[in-house]
Amino acid sequence: MPLIGYIRLWLACIRYSAVRALMFRFDFIMWALVELFWMAVNLLMVSVIYSHTSEIGGWTRPQMLLLLGTSMLTQRLLMGFFWSNLFEMGRNIRSGTFDFFLAQPGNPLFMVSTRKFDLDSMSNVIVAGGLVIYAVHELGLQPGLSDIALYVLAVLCGLAIHYSVLLLTASLTFWTIGSQGLEGGYFTLTEFSRLPREVFKGVANVVFVWILPAVVVSNVPARALLHGFKPTLFAWLLGSALLWLFIAVSVFKRGLKRYASASS
Amino acid sequence: MSVLAKYRYVFLTGLQSSLVYRWNFAARSAFSLVHLSFVFILWGAAYRGQTDIGGFNLAQTLTYFLAMLVIQFFISAQNEDYQIGEDIRNGMINQFLLKPIDYYSYRLTLFFSARLVTGALALLPIMLAYPLFSDTLSLPSDPWRLLYGAPALLLSALIQFSIAYIFGLLAFWFLEIQSFIILSLAIETVLGGQMFPLDLLPGWAFRLSQFLPYYYQMYFPTAILTGRLDQTQATEGLLVQLVWLGILYGIGRLLWTRGLRRHTAVGG
Repeated sequence: MPLIGYIRLWLACIRYSAVRALMFRFDFIMWALVELFWMAVNLLMVSVIYSHTSEIGGWTRPQMLLLLGTSMLTQRLLMGFFWSNLFEMGRNIRSGTFDFFLAQPGNPLFMVSTRKFDLDSMSNVIVAGGLVIYAVHELGLQPGLSDIALYVLAVLCGLAIHYSVLLLTASLTFWTIGSQGLEGGYFTLTEFSRLPREVFKGVANVVFVWILPAVVVSNVPARALLHGFKPTLFAWLLGSALLWLFIAVSVFKRGLKRYASASS
Repeated sequence: MSVLAKYRYVFLTGLQSSLVYRWNFAARSAFSLVHLSFVFILWGAAYRGQTDIGGFNLAQTLTYFLAMLVIQFFISAQNEDYQIGEDIRNGMINQFLLKPIDYYSYRLTLFFSARLVTGALALLPIMLAYPLFSDTLSLPSDPWRLLYGAPALLLSALIQFSIAYIFGLLAFWFLEIQSFIILSLAIETVLGGQMFPLDLLPGWAFRLSQFLPYYYQMYFPTAILTGRLDQTQATEGLLVQLVWLGILYGIGRLLWTRGLRRHTAVGG
């Protein structure tokens, strides 16, 4: 299928999911509220800590809000586009329903990743974006068009890293039967992306900054808005995005070879 | 069969079925240790340049979070609400309507057996990791704290269960209750003191939180044991906690009788 075909297919899936979400309006409102509440929880924690201290790792309150907003923005995008797809992939591999995706005339990874789209998460992308704009305003920053473009690009790299981590954990289902609890691992890991890099010392620095891509996903985009474009930081972000994407796709492909369906 | 013997069997069965999921629980407690390192990093950074936040030093605050984590595995409701909802949806509760067993007591017994297992399994990794952070902790040793802490813990467990029970019973009215559960979890996480010690809130907000049931889910017993509340506050708290337990139990009973009137016994 040519690229344009894939794009049209994805758009059709998005349109279908959006219509579906609006058919179940009460559910849509409840789930949008759920995410909104969880974002408020994190915002409240930052506010309470900053009512007792003026900085964390050298970051002031509005700087921290920018970091938090960036981290939420990436996470909401992941939830909106990929979360339920990859979450269900694990379940489908176990049940054998995964066959259905292999039978479709297209790249299996694309088919698996784009089938559903969560409108409730996407509505919270606007809220997270609002937090970023608020923080930028509080800081008195005046980003130009190129700064905004770079920030968006950095957030998309962050999204690619989140996607890879999720795909990697979901692909483990090809080998293990039970993988519940792995989502818990994802959420635990993303907690660290709400912290500035400066607070990581010793072992934590090695693990969360250098080995796992927990800190780079949020810190590099936020820093780009705060202190302008730094080629080395961008190279680091782009490099990790490509590396993690490569690892995740390779693991997925290996798993696919191993997949032997399941009888019904 | 005597009432006690009946629920003793439920308890023992509950122990066995919880032990089946021991690896899930072990994984969860491993994740919670990672979460604890997040808490230690965040608060360690917040304390840099000052020795006091809200009248407590870093060691006291870290002790609070560690104690809360351990207590959580012993008293907090985990998926009881979901299980109760499933029982209703699948028609599994029909058998309880026909047998001389009370559903609330049945579920409560299972809850206690499950917490015994999760608590014991969570202690293991924490005890292994203990030497790593033992010198960053500071636990008060006043004997009254244990005397007040023990009943506070028991009442907290009962409140946790009662709230989960109420949410589970919503399945009589709604097809899908998961969104209610996660929504309320967000509120419980903040107002139960899991994100930050509630005493760091502005005075009026802290006072207000003491009249809400969430305060008595986690914060109250933890704060007694880790020295964040004095004896007068603890005495007052125990009374309010008892009142909340009564109210929540009443709501649970009311929803049960009301719900059964709507119940149409699907499947079985």
